[in-house]
Amino acid sequence: MAKKILRINMSNLKATYEAVPEKWARWAGRGLTSSIVFDEVDPTCHPLGPNNKLVIAPGWVTGSPAAPSSGRCSFGGKSPLTGGIKESNSGGMCGQKIAKLGLAAIILEGQPADKKWYTLVITKDGVAFESADKLVGKGMYDVAAAMEAKYPKTALIGIGQAGEMKLSNAGISVNDPEYSPGRYAGRGGLGAVMGARYVKAIIVDDSGGPGVEIADKELFTKGRKALAAAISEHALTKKDGGLNAYGTAVLVNILNEAGALPTRNFSSGHFDTAAKTSGEAIAEAVEKRGGGMMGHGCHPGCIIQCSNIFPDEDGNVLVSKIEYETTWSLGANCGIDDLDYIAAATKECNDIGLDSIEGGNTIAIAMEGGLLEFGDSKGALKLFDEIRKGTPLGRILGQGVEATAKAFGVYRVPTVKGQSMPAYEPRAVKGIGVTYATTPMGADHTAGYTIAPEIAGVGGKVDPLSDEGKGDLSLAFQATTAFIDSTGYCLFIAFPILDIAEGFGGMVESVAGVTGLKITGDDVVPLGKEILKMERLFNESAGFTAADDRPPEFMRDEMLPPHNVNWTISDEVLDGVFGWVHAD
Amino acid sequence: MKGTAAITVHVVLYGSIAEYGGGTHIADLYLKLGEGSLLGDVLTELGIPSEEKGYVFLNSVLCDAPGLNASAGLTLKQGDHVGVFSKDHMWPYQYRDGIRMSDTLREVMQERGAMHHTYGTTPQD
Repeated sequence: MAKKILRINMSNLKATYEAVPEKWARWAGRGLTSSIVFDEVDPTCHPLGPNNKLVIAPGWVTGSPAAPSSGRCSFGGKSPLTGGIKESNSGGMCGQKIAKLGLAAIILEGQPADKKWYTLVITKDGVAFESADKLVGKGMYDVAAAMEAKYPKTALIGIGQAGEMKLSNAGISVNDPEYSPGRYAGRGGLGAVMGARYVKAIIVDDSGGPGVEIADKELFTKGRKALAAAISEHALTKKDGGLNAYGTAVLVNILNEAGALPTRNFSSGHFDTAAKTSGEAIAEAVEKRGGGMMGHGCHPGCIIQCSNIFPDEDGNVLVSKIEYETTWSLGANCGIDDLDYIAAATKECNDIGLDSIEGGNTIAIAMEGGLLEFGDSKGALKLFDEIRKGTPLGRILGQGVEATAKAFGVYRVPTVKGQSMPAYEPRAVKGIGVTYATTPMGADHTAGYTIAPEIAGVGGKVDPLSDEGKGDLSLAFQATTAFIDSTGYCLFIAFPILDIAEGFGGMVESVAGVTGLKITGDDVVPLGKEILKMERLFNESAGFTAADDRPPEFMRDEMLPPHNVNWTISDEVLDGVFGWVHAD
Repeated sequence: MKGTAAITVHVVLYGSIAEYGGGTHIADLYLKLGEGSLLGDVLTELGIPSEEKGYVFLNSVLCDAPGLNASAGLTLKQGDHVGVFSKDHMWPYQYRDGIRMSDTLREVMQERGAMHHTYGTTPQD
């Protein structure tokens, strides 16, 4: 059965199923969300107005049987935070269930004239529009409890109070296998786009759904097995490997040793007590306290399992999960080394419905602006409460880093295109700085995952260790990432497929096997570039220029300890990354 | 270990190799070594097999990577800080692209390729 597009119009509360038009037929995941946004959303529209849309699309292989670590789902729209196109993706339960209902994408559009809130219940029989009056004003943990009781074993997509208030830092929550709402399509404020449709929650029940059709079962099976073998073999992704044992927070101590861990609002690359907030410290607390776990999977079928469940001192579950970006943004970047605070603040972000990267960075800006001292964890929790309550201060903080910096007169503003930087200091890690500056998404650490240079098409052409080569490499990485974001596979498959050629081949074969697309490894970068081109053109029409592809001014002027380095990559290198868009 | 006059270096071991320093996941210790001791002597002194170490830092400068042994010959001095990670600790290339590294590691990476997550442990390496 061919996949369908489910279009939900909140203006008239009608849901319609449409055949996937030819122009979108080869896309899934990010490729599909960006195609639909490019085709259907006016780039000049107000992100919170009636002309923006929220598009949800699982990847090519998401929901297919036994494809390893393939539960990712893309969310797209025009971002209230950046003003440009946004794709933010998440693990959790929704991608597989949407795919198993035979849906290529869900398009959420329009706004109810009476501004009443709804819960959408999507099943094989259609969409029910239920009143969400009882959920309005509640955080995501209460919403999840209510939805699990009413709709057990379903996927939940929802927004907390931040999304209801249409704050620019509102993310979209997705439940995990334990029905905890801690998985997030966090970046870019898409929770506000969902809130602007007056949808508080979406339930996806795939019972009786048609499942995912496999075009070439033999090719698919061959590919998924090769990929699974590579994941299981590689030191980073295998069971008890770095990710499984310590989660993504395994990076805290490494970046800190390297002098590249942004600290106290990007004023240093080293935090003396960062180890207390690291993956190693999380693992130690889990072992000593009991009641938690490392090696937790965010969706069925994940064999990497980098998530965790963090317990309090009595062994009661505090939050799932503490990731690298979270422990850094709420920790080192605020001068805080208390894991229990980080867990509590992570839960606040999950509950209120905030992107924890932007949320932590915003607290750091508030600290720099004099609202509280660096290291003041109690004060930070009070600020999250201000956001939850929607006080005037809370609404400023909920708009993210740039709005807060303006409100409090802060110059050191670590953003690109309005989105704050993740946990890699671009003055010390200049390659990621090129990606932060040029990706259509705003500063984003997931926009440029490394792929082997020979696959990326730059083998022998550029020196990865030179500044001159960083533009070409960034483009190759961004294109490959756009492709992987479309597969439904977790980005962490990038590690084994870089080192193990059979894994890369298996990834491509599994996509070809599911979809019937005649693609090979040679198509990965060109297809990724097609996606990037749509995204860049959307942003250009929205008013973006080369001036938006720049790191913040202070990074050129201020030397970063401990290496005392500043941003030195030229504007010409940055402008060259996407120079091909109008030349091709 | 060279010489008899002692220097003290601060050593932190991360991950499974922490057991060589008396820790579980992190071992933080001060090591007395002879004057003129080398970076590789830290591993020898603690009994850490070379194949178990991953990234190695000396005073915030990346000196080695999983599967490589590029900077063992660097000379240590009083007060140096050495960070040693287990081989399974990940650090994707995009998150270390442009990081400060030792000249000897840079030379090896120029030859072996800069982007691998591990060296010498996979079929393609």
